[in-house]
Amino acid sequence: MSVLTLQNISKSYGKIQALNNLSFEIPQGCVFGVLGPNGSGKTTLLSIILDVLKADSGSFLWFGQPGSPEQRKKIGSLLETPNFYHYLSAVNNLKITNSISGRGDYQGIDAVLQKVNLFERKDSRFSSYSLGMKQRLAIAAALLGDPKVLVLDEPTNGLDPVGIAEIRELIIELSKKGHTIIMASHLLDEVEKVCTHVAIIKKGSLLTTGAVEDVLADEDTIEISAADITALAAAMKGYGNNIKVLQDGSFLHVSMPKGTARLEDVNNYCFSKGIVLNHLVFKKKRLEAKFFELTNN
Amino acid sequence: MTQIVRTEWLKIKKYPAFWWVMGITALTYPGINYMFLNVYYDITQKRSGSGQIIQALLGNPFSFPEAWKTVGYFSSIFIFIPSIVIIMLITNEYTYKTNRQNIIDGWSRTNFMVAKLIDVLLLSLIVTGIYAVVAFVVGSINTTNLAAPRWSMAFYIGLFFLQLFSQLSLAFVVGFLIRKSFLALAVFVFYFFVEKISVLILSNKYHNEIGEFFPLEISHRLVPRPAFFGKFDEKAYQASLEAVQYHVGYATIVLIITWAFCFWINNRRDL
Repeated sequence: MSVLTLQNISKSYGKIQALNNLSFEIPQGCVFGVLGPNGSGKTTLLSIILDVLKADSGSFLWFGQPGSPEQRKKIGSLLETPNFYHYLSAVNNLKITNSISGRGDYQGIDAVLQKVNLFERKDSRFSSYSLGMKQRLAIAAALLGDPKVLVLDEPTNGLDPVGIAEIRELIIELSKKGHTIIMASHLLDEVEKVCTHVAIIKKGSLLTTGAVEDVLADEDTIEISAADITALAAAMKGYGNNIKVLQDGSFLHVSMPKGTARLEDVNNYCFSKGIVLNHLVFKKKRLEAKFFELTNN
Repeated sequence: MTQIVRTEWLKIKKYPAFWWVMGITALTYPGINYMFLNVYYDITQKRSGSGQIIQALLGNPFSFPEAWKTVGYFSSIFIFIPSIVIIMLITNEYTYKTNRQNIIDGWSRTNFMVAKLIDVLLLSLIVTGIYAVVAFVVGSINTTNLAAPRWSMAFYIGLFFLQLFSQLSLAFVVGFLIRKSFLALAVFVFYFFVEKISVLILSNKYHNEIGEFFPLEISHRLVPRPAFFGKFDEKAYQASLEAVQYHVGYATIVLIITWAFCFWINNRRDL
C-alpha cells in the first residue's frame, strides 16, 4: 500500500513553474529521498503535501485518502526551518505540538528531547539555541508520539558531523521499526546511506523515481586493469555492442547494458585476447554520479 | 474548541509582552479615570460658590449609574494598548513561521483563524473585566445616594465589550495583512490617531458626520461622551445616545465582514 500518492501536482509562482505535473508513489515502510538541485521544487512539494501551499492543479492522497488535518496530526514533520515560539522553552514548544497534534504526552516530550540530546537545555528559551539545537528540537517535535510517517525537509541542516551521524542512525533505526520516512535533501551521500527509494526532480519535473538499486542500476559498470592498459582498452572495444570504455589512470571503467556484465565472461574474453587482468571488480554506481548524470550538472 | 483554547493559552501564558500590556492596561484604565476624577473634584470642591454651581450643573459623572458610561468613555481612549498585544500575537506567528507549523501539526486553516478569533475575544473579555472592575469601584466610591440605581446603566459593559472587540479585530486585520510586527503597530497607531483627528476636523470644521462611519469610529460611538457634555450641547448629546442602537448594528456588521474577510483570505493564500 502506498503511504503517499501524488497525482499530476503542478505549482507555479507567477512565471516560475515550481512543480510540473509531478506524479509518483511512496510505498509504506520505505525511506524515500526527494532529491534535486537548489530550487528544484523539493520544499514546494513537501509544503503542498503538508497543506502549507496550495497546488495549482493535481491532488495527493495520504493512505489512499485526500489530505486532511486529521492525517497531518499523525505525521511528524520538519519543513524547511525549525518553526517555534522564540520566547518559549523546548518543553513548552513541544507542549504546543502535543496540544495541536495529540501526538505523545508530557513524558514523551522528555523522551524525545533525550533522544536528540537536548534534555539538558529543555527549559532554555528557543531564542537562546544554536542553529543545530534548533534543528534538533524540530526533529524532536517530528518524533513526538512516535508517528509512523515522518516528513523531513533537509533534516541535517545546521548539524555538526556527530549530529548528522546521529540523525542517520535514527532514520535507519526508525526504518527498521517499519516507519515510513520521506526526506528531502541535497546531501546525496547521506541519502544514499539511508534511503531505500528516491525521486529525483529538476526544475519541478520528475526525472526518475523508484528503489535506489533500480534507479542506480540502469547499466552495469566494471572496473578492470592489466599491465598493458592501452592494449586492454583496444581489446575491450571489441567486447560487444553498446559498451562504453573510459580510462581512469591505470584502470578502465567499462559500462554495458544492465544485466549484461558477467565478470567471468570479461575475464575469459581478455584472456582469449592474450591479456591477463590484474584487477576486475563490479562497480556500483554512486547516487552522486547518477544525480549529476540526470541533472546535467 | 477546548483544544484550540488550550493551545492558545500555552502560547500566551508565557509571552512576556502579553503580561506587560495587561499590566499597563490594568494601570492605565484606573489611572485615566482617577485623573479625570481628580480634575472633577478640583473643580467642584472649590470653596468659592463656582464649584458648587459647576457641581450642580454637571452632576457627578463618576457616581452610579452614570459611572458605567463615564469610565467606559475615558477607558476607551486607551484601547490601542491591548491592540498592541493583538498585533504582536498574530505577527509573531508570521515572524516565527509558527502559523505554518500549526497547520503542519494538524490544524486546519479554519482552526488557526478560530484560534486567533479566540485570542481577540479572550483579550476583549479580560480588558472589559478590567473596565468593569474600575467602573464598579469608581462608581461605588463616588455614589453618595444609596437609592441610586447602580446597575441601570451596566449595559455599557456589553457596549464597551463590543467596542473593544470591534477595534481589536481591526487591529488584528492590520497585523494579519501586514505581517511585520513593527510596521503593523506603526500603521495601526498612526491610523488610530489620524482617524480621531479626521473625525474631529470633519465634524467641527465642516459639520460633516461621515466620520461616524470610519472603521474605528463606528464602534467608538457605542460608548458616548459622559452626560455632562449634554449641558454644553444637549441636542448633540441626545443624538449620540440615540445613535448607539444603530452603531451596535454597524459595529456588528463590521465585525462580521472583518472576520469573514480574514477567514476567506487565510483559506486561500499560501502560508
